[in-house]
Amino acid sequence: MEFLSLLDITFFLLAGFGALIGIIFGAIPGMTATMAVAVCLPLTYALGLHHGLALLLGLYVGGISGGMVPAVLLNIPGTPSSITTTFDGYPMARKGEGEKALRVSVIASVVGGLISAAVLFLFAPMLADFSIKFSYVEKFLIILLALSVIASLSSSMLVGIFSGVIGIWLSLIGDYSISDGGNGKTRLMFDFMEPYLFEGFSLLPVLIGIFGISTILLEAEKGVKSDLSNERIKFGKGGGFSLSIFKGRLTNLVRSSFIGTFVGMLPGVGGSAASVLAYTQEKNLSRDSSEMGKGAPQGLVASESANNALTGGALIPLLSLGIPGDSTTAVLIGAFTLQGIQVGPLFIPENSETWYIMMTALVFANIVMFFLMFYAIKHIAKVVMVPKHILYPIIVMMCVVGAYAINYGIMFDVWTLLIFGILGYLIQKIGLEVAPLIIGFILGSQAEVYFVKSLESFGTLSIFFTKSPIAIVLWLLILASVVFSIVMGLKSRARHSQEFTTDRSASRLDKKELS
Amino acid sequence: MKFPKTIVGLGSAAMMMSVAFGAGVAQAADGPLRGNVRVVIGSTSTGGDTYQNSSIVVDQLAEHLDLNMKVDAVGASAAFRALDRDSRGNTLMIFHDQSYLGYLYGVQGYDNIFEKYTVGPTVAINPGNAYLVPKDSPYETLDDIIAAAGDGETVRVAIQPGGVSEIGFSALKNAISIEHPGMEDNLVAVNTGSQSDKNQQLFDGQADVINGTVQANEQYTRLSEDDQKAMRFVWLTARQGTIQQAPENGLGQTSREQLLEFVEPNVTVTMGGDETFTFDKEFFFLYNKDMDPAIVEQIDEALTEIYAEGEIQEIQKNSFFIPNFKPSEQASEYLYDKMSRYEGIIENIK
Repeated sequence: MEFLSLLDITFFLLAGFGALIGIIFGAIPGMTATMAVAVCLPLTYALGLHHGLALLLGLYVGGISGGMVPAVLLNIPGTPSSITTTFDGYPMARKGEGEKALRVSVIASVVGGLISAAVLFLFAPMLADFSIKFSYVEKFLIILLALSVIASLSSSMLVGIFSGVIGIWLSLIGDYSISDGGNGKTRLMFDFMEPYLFEGFSLLPVLIGIFGISTILLEAEKGVKSDLSNERIKFGKGGGFSLSIFKGRLTNLVRSSFIGTFVGMLPGVGGSAASVLAYTQEKNLSRDSSEMGKGAPQGLVASESANNALTGGALIPLLSLGIPGDSTTAVLIGAFTLQGIQVGPLFIPENSETWYIMMTALVFANIVMFFLMFYAIKHIAKVVMVPKHILYPIIVMMCVVGAYAINYGIMFDVWTLLIFGILGYLIQKIGLEVAPLIIGFILGSQAEVYFVKSLESFGTLSIFFTKSPIAIVLWLLILASVVFSIVMGLKSRARHSQEFTTDRSASRLDKKELS
Repeated sequence: MKFPKTIVGLGSAAMMMSVAFGAGVAQAADGPLRGNVRVVIGSTSTGGDTYQNSSIVVDQLAEHLDLNMKVDAVGASAAFRALDRDSRGNTLMIFHDQSYLGYLYGVQGYDNIFEKYTVGPTVAINPGNAYLVPKDSPYETLDDIIAAAGDGETVRVAIQPGGVSEIGFSALKNAISIEHPGMEDNLVAVNTGSQSDKNQQLFDGQADVINGTVQANEQYTRLSEDDQKAMRFVWLTARQGTIQQAPENGLGQTSREQLLEFVEPNVTVTMGGDETFTFDKEFFFLYNKDMDPAIVEQIDEALTEIYAEGEIQEIQKNSFFIPNFKPSEQASEYLYDKMSRYEGIIENIK
């Protein structure tokens, strides 16, 4: 317990301060946890490793959590991993339940964060050994599993699949990067586009555009009215929130936290896949998922617990293999590098003090994040009360600044934001679906890399079925997910046609009565 | 929306102070290099050697010149583009041999740096470029690998194509073609991305040899043989003289003596005749071609003074870098010669 002597007041202040700044970064569209950690990384020189880590872990936890705020209140995912939070969060906010949605999200986040921290603490080296059993083949199948749920996320299966395919197609524009082991050649574009689209469309401008800008365009089309929905907003006493919301949802909470931790520990699979998988597993496994996507707290529980559970998960390969689990831990590793500390399979046994310090910072940052957000929510939720003619221009400005900043000042990212804003608007006008499209966009390029690399490594398509028992389990899950989508699709069609027949016979009766 | 007067007052005061302070910082420097200086690097990773080394150099330079300088890990193509845009000297770049190897390998987005940019001073070497095999591999040495390929056995090497990771592979292939003509195709490249991907290829048995680094893989070499993750060094591409300059303790628990077992004369890769292949990964500055030559001179002078003080060498060595300062003109000639040598190898195996 020698590490206790290293825990001073500055350590806790830095972790808490980090969580606060992280929340602000996460809450601003276009600013991410990764950016917050990158900006503060040079401070670790001055602060020293342990104090530096306290600050960076605070930023990490805060940054991931902060993404829920714009996702719920404005339909803009603050971070890519909060996409699924918009599915139910925004409909709840529109019903005047923004505060309730945020409270559910914060509790789910802290539970996800703490469960993953416990898993990290107890099982890190063992899980790292398990994670290396996932080769390109298994990683491709995990992405495929996340993609297979596209159809079940949509009101119409075919429309969902079509939208998803468009998303995948958009993700393949650009080069097959050498840093992925590709040939560095561009495709799906004309030569004159190369200077702009060499690396494809950037994820965050696409996300903010398709969610944020398109929402604003749709609202603008309706005309700015002064009534808003704020008259219906429930404020005070938790805005309609009570802990009983979690009754019967514990399985969802724990399952989603484990899914988040698990996906986090697989390097290269990414945070968005975690929340998408958790969300869709809830949709597939829950007894009643009919309200999901229309404003059901269970969707928020799944999404937020999974994306916060990533934090602990992504630290598993970082601290047990020296391999970052996601983009933020890829920056975090710089804190060790700058101090000349090697991170690899022997890091934990050789640096036990630093290891305990990190665990303390992680748990403390989660707790600070919880209290900061839980008690600030009633003020944060009032954002929606700002008149739209003031709020929307501010959001557009923040989106533009965020898009410009995300890759250190690339103007084309701003154009991307606007192009996808208009595209998002048109998509909804012609009846396509945004959620499957964006999931296709995020996961498409990863699916391609892992698919091609699997074939290059093993040389045969049959390897996807024969590689390992893990591959077989994943196929069973994919199959179950597809069957579920089809059954749900058929059920909903049957229900529609039943309603349609009832309506027609009712109207016939009406006509008879009239005549 | 109305703000209370106190807040407006405080806000204005803070703004005025920041403007005044900012101006002070900008005016503090009296050389041709002024204002805020952004140093872009050719890697997106803040955990890698480029960021680490650049941070060390830029910190010292910023202090010496009394300027506000910041390292941005933007990646090669974004860094080149940023450098193309700014001829004022407010954007500088630090990168390594990848900048010309990418061009030699014909990677899209890489031009001839000697034509398009001004090559600035070299600052350090990372001596850690390495090749590893699983601990229980039948290949004990690099000679075993060359001999196996010469005997018609397929040997798979996981690399990231088009640069520093590939040059050792190319040299090995060249050596096989010299020692066992016609058998060089038995050495097969497994093109992967990050270090994690390369390691994974080894764990999966999809590669027999991987490219790695002393920094990233040293801990793996200390795992017991029954661990699936255990590896063994077979070759460090650095010159013997370079490793000899490393701290005696080496890195982690692998001493300098142990590392010397994997360089010349213990491990040699022929380039034909008496010439053998070595590769030191060197970091250097790149400038916009139209930048004021006085800035080139100013940075050269500042670095000469910094290296004369000797503190930077200690910091670099502690982080397992070998200090290697050469002023711009000397560096440019030296790197051009280096490029010409490697061009020959790459041509030979085409």
